[in-house]
Amino acid sequence: MPLDTSAYGLALLRVDGRRWNELRRMHAQIRTQAAADGSSYLEMGHTKVMCVVTGPSEPGPRRGGLGGTASGGGASSAQSKDAEVAVSIVVAGFSSVDRKRPGRGDKRILELQSTISSALAASLHTHLFPHSTISISLHVLSQDGSLLAALINAATLACVDAGIPMTDYVVACTAGSTSTYAANDEAADPLLDLNHQEEQELPGLTVATLGQTDRVAVLVCESRVQVSRLEGMLAVGVDGCKQVREILDRVVRDKGHRMLLEGTVERGAGLDDMEVD
Amino acid sequence: MASLKRSLQSDDPYAANIASKVYVRSTKSGKVQKIVREVYLRTDIPCSSKLCRQCLDAAPRDAAGRRVGFVLSERPAGTKVYPQGHYLVPDTNAFLSAMDLFEHGSAFYDVVVLQIVLEELRNRSLPLYNRLVALTKSDEKRFYVFFNEFRLETYITRDDGETVNDRNDRAVRKAAKWYGQHLAKTQPGQAPAVVMLSNDRDNLRKAKLDGIPACSLAEYVGQLKDGEALLDMIPESQDRDITREKKPGESLYPEYFSMSKTMTGVKNGLLHQGIFNVSPYNYLEGSIRVPAFPKALLILGRENINRAIDGDVVVVEVLPKDQWKVPSTQVIEEESITKDENPDAEEGDNIVSQQERKALQEEVRRTHSKSSESLAQPTARVVGVIKRNWRQYVGHIDQSSVSQTGQQGRKQDSVFVIPMDKKIPKIRLRTRQVAELLGKRILIGIDAWDRSSRHPTGHFIRSLGELETKAAETEALLLEYDVQYRPFPKTVLDCLPKEGHDWKVPASTDDPGWRDREDLRDLLICSIDPIGCQDIDDALHSRPLANGNIEVGVHIADVSHFVKPNNAMDAEASIRATSVYLVDKRIDMLPMLLGTDLCSLKPYVERYAFSVIWEMNADADIVNARFTKSVIKSREAFSYEQAQLRVDDASQQDELTKSIRTLLALSRKLKQKRLDAGALSLSSPEVKVQMESETSDPIDVKLKKLLDTMSLVEEFMLLANTSVAAKIYSAFPQTAILRRHAAPPKTNFDELANQLRVKKGLELNVESSRALADSLDACVEPSEPFFNTLIRIMATRCMMSAEYFCSGTQAYPEFRHYGLASEIYTHFTSPIRRYADLVAHRQLAAAIEYEAVDPSVRSRGRLEAVCKNINVRHRNAQLAGRASIAYYVGQALRGKATDEDGFVMKIFSNGFVVLVPRFGIEGLIRLRDLADPEPQAEYDAETNTLTTSGSREVKVELFQKVRVRVTDQKDETTGKRGVKMELL
Ligand SMILES: [Zn+2]
Repeated sequence: MPLDTSAYGLALLRVDGRRWNELRRMHAQIRTQAAADGSSYLEMGHTKVMCVVTGPSEPGPRRGGLGGTASGGGASSAQSKDAEVAVSIVVAGFSSVDRKRPGRGDKRILELQSTISSALAASLHTHLFPHSTISISLHVLSQDGSLLAALINAATLACVDAGIPMTDYVVACTAGSTSTYAANDEAADPLLDLNHQEEQELPGLTVATLGQTDRVAVLVCESRVQVSRLEGMLAVGVDGCKQVREILDRVVRDKGHRMLLEGTVERGAGLDDMEVD
Repeated sequence: MASLKRSLQSDDPYAANIASKVYVRSTKSGKVQKIVREVYLRTDIPCSSKLCRQCLDAAPRDAAGRRVGFVLSERPAGTKVYPQGHYLVPDTNAFLSAMDLFEHGSAFYDVVVLQIVLEELRNRSLPLYNRLVALTKSDEKRFYVFFNEFRLETYITRDDGETVNDRNDRAVRKAAKWYGQHLAKTQPGQAPAVVMLSNDRDNLRKAKLDGIPACSLAEYVGQLKDGEALLDMIPESQDRDITREKKPGESLYPEYFSMSKTMTGVKNGLLHQGIFNVSPYNYLEGSIRVPAFPKALLILGRENINRAIDGDVVVVEVLPKDQWKVPSTQVIEEESITKDENPDAEEGDNIVSQQERKALQEEVRRTHSKSSESLAQPTARVVGVIKRNWRQYVGHIDQSSVSQTGQQGRKQDSVFVIPMDKKIPKIRLRTRQVAELLGKRILIGIDAWDRSSRHPTGHFIRSLGELETKAAETEALLLEYDVQYRPFPKTVLDCLPKEGHDWKVPASTDDPGWRDREDLRDLLICSIDPIGCQDIDDALHSRPLANGNIEVGVHIADVSHFVKPNNAMDAEASIRATSVYLVDKRIDMLPMLLGTDLCSLKPYVERYAFSVIWEMNADADIVNARFTKSVIKSREAFSYEQAQLRVDDASQQDELTKSIRTLLALSRKLKQKRLDAGALSLSSPEVKVQMESETSDPIDVKLKKLLDTMSLVEEFMLLANTSVAAKIYSAFPQTAILRRHAAPPKTNFDELANQLRVKKGLELNVESSRALADSLDACVEPSEPFFNTLIRIMATRCMMSAEYFCSGTQAYPEFRHYGLASEIYTHFTSPIRRYADLVAHRQLAAAIEYEAVDPSVRSRGRLEAVCKNINVRHRNAQLAGRASIAYYVGQALRGKATDEDGFVMKIFSNGFVVLVPRFGIEGLIRLRDLADPEPQAEYDAETNTLTTSGSREVKVELFQKVRVRVTDQKDETTGKRGVKMELL
């Protein structure tokens, strides 16, 4: 097995060969499923997720099988004036090294769902669709760290694809620190975009921002870390979010451009302004 | 649906630089897991040569913008073959087999450690990995870790059908080649050579084919100027790999099972894993405790032991019942039995030598005799070694194994080395310096133990000096018990207060040092310690209170004020874990300035302290306890003897003496309470070596006297420790550092209880510690006062050893300290000399909200690692202390012969062990020591009696008091001095 994260100090290289401020290779596609209202596929390193968005749709007869969903954007009742953002996550058994059957109502999954739901509700113009539901269905195909960030990014892309009006992209990434909490090394470098091994061994947080602004939409930190190191981690994370936004934006514009060329959509007024190259 | 399988498109700018690595690992539970890891390849990993400008410009920076300095020298040393200078690129095996060589001061500078090598080394041996990482951090040796697996040009993928090892070897060659070409660009024609070091013939051959400069360790050392001395440090087996082919069909030992077979076996419960222990009396008998059975399994004979060495983690298979054996009742010493073996001879057809065969026949005869059938114990054989616990061993060359030519010439010769540790088999060593090394204490390492070799083979590391010189023997002892005795490095000394010895408690109470400290300078505090104690950890006081109760204070040196968590001094102390006390030397855990001055609670000066203050009633019940940081001023530093005299002298009526009397009275009550609760009073023979003050030569040995004042100090320290344990546990239920003493398994006492019943009609009740304490009290023989102590010494050896642990790792009932009959216990009172106490101080300071909790004392993983280390170090320190006493007792006896009383502790069919309380030593008297020719003997296992007939007629029983003559004697063949006992 390769070295662990403690080897960073030897040559300022992380376990996978990255520097402290580098994202993993990020790859994304939108409109992966033509039949869906909106869909996307996203990879951050070996973390691979898929997203399908349905809606906004008026409430019909209650569909079964959406047991483990979380919703945000105001009260979840149909009387609400805002649309409900319902998120469901399915984790494939083969997605991690330890093949295990995810239990229904797994606490961690419930928490991810509710975090994503409220994060998106902050950007989507839910007030435009009263009494309706936006269903976001996420599938985790492979896990290698930064799962929450990947899910948020995929959901954002799928919502764009679905054409739901939103303020800006909600983009997320993780940040960490090169030394453990116990080692208490004040001079530890912050790290951008943790993979699974780093998540296991080092302190880390997930941050999501609203597009190019510094407005933080999500901040989750589940590990123990000295408060003095937090600032550096957060700064690196927010900077990472901006890089992620560039990448997502490029994916959307590329797809738009290609669709124009293929004649899938008619050249509309707005699309002319897009810089496509 | 659009295809998702396009993730690595050609237009992806990153795509070319990303590789995936696949690892397959099998877990403990037997599952096989496949792990896929991404690797990002890059071109900005520098070569780190100071000659290279190109890399310097692209060198990486950390988050603060600092650039890592370049390591490899611009003018590296040259050799005969590479006069222009050279950098070394060793492969994994080079480090695995000769790490000592790389650490050597005279050569091996400017070394490129490849990432793949580091990875492989880490998987093979964590200690070696840590040593190598330490080397890369030292400035002078210039070792640079090159991440070849992340550099685009040096990354390679495994070919179809290529083994992992072959792939890794190829990676090493590729990196070495790249380095050579890369450097050639910087200084065409005169760049340093990049030399690959390997002991793998195939790897060397391929390197040469590829035009890469490469040589074996031996070849390389041969090119060095003073290479001769280093040659011996090259391990034997490796040398052989290159020089000669192994002949097949020479195997003496059974082959080990494959890894997967052993793992499955252990999982199914058919094989058992445990740590192999060798009997101290018989080198051909071992035992192993496995989780599946309550009693240890027996492993008898060379073939069954199958190359396991004391301490190795092995897997054993239980033998069929008809092969079960009785534990040996014979003393079998390797030295005397294999004395005349020839180290050069390639062993013939049998692993069991003639003499060993004879010893075995005796065993068989006994096993087959009528009564022993039922005594046969489950016996097992070793079928695999999970982890070798080999370390460096101290020993000396067996003179009898040296050939004539070896003594004269410089030709390489095989000799046997007899390790100091009797449980380690003798080791075959090939050396060119036999003549120099004879009569020296030497340090050696074991390299391998092949199936074809009766003895393990090793290599020479360094010489410690003449046998029996004080310097060599002391260093030998420190090495043997892995005591860190080198001077403190500068980084540690830099953590000391700048004022040095002039440091004082600040005069102004407004100084930050006084924050939250109580001013206890008015109290009549004194310390009581052994004579000449310089590191005074603790001091006490007592004073009457207005309500009739008594205030008692225990004041402990405030070491945590000076040693802050995670600095270099703290790291060093946590590794040393304890001070080690030898007869003539003390190896400190903390630098002298702190230990014997600034922290030490010396009299007449103000010192920072951590105080535990109780309010007690006259029955020594605690009414109230509190903890505070304080400033104290000790009035006097007494020795135990001085304090005792003062207390006993009725004319002394000053306040200080009165307060000591109060403490003494309270301590008696405390002790009684402990004994009532079932605390054990255990025993081990303790002696003190008296030294001549000028020459520090030992002149006499005295038994330690027990004084009331010793018990006084002990009781209050126990009380303080218990109070602190409860406090830190309530504050940190998961992470308090505590000390426990597990109840011994009842079977541990079987033998002793049985012997007492048969020989003395005494019952040993081991139901509880209380019952054991009572029955030990009842083990008296009116005519022989020492008998009780003897039984206590023997009972102590049946106990478990106490251990430090982190509270989250055990359930509360398991916290119990069996020996002290205390529910919860920790160590708090000696922070100058024990690291555990320092951690407890930090936790207590946080518990009373004196300071914020440092993460290192709250992290469970970290604390578990600390506990593990200090448990080992603590044990080693005790053993080293005892070995030091034994050595000096031997020196004190030198040239003298004294007749002493002794007691028989153990009986074998061919000898018996006698304990001489006066010197605290045990000695073995064999039948052949009784008379010449050796008398016949009848051994009765039931009654533990040995009756000899023939040339001398004596009857020796267990527990018997005997008169022995103690002399010291030097064994001419082995050159080893030891205490010899003769029965009078
Ligand atoms: Zn370079």
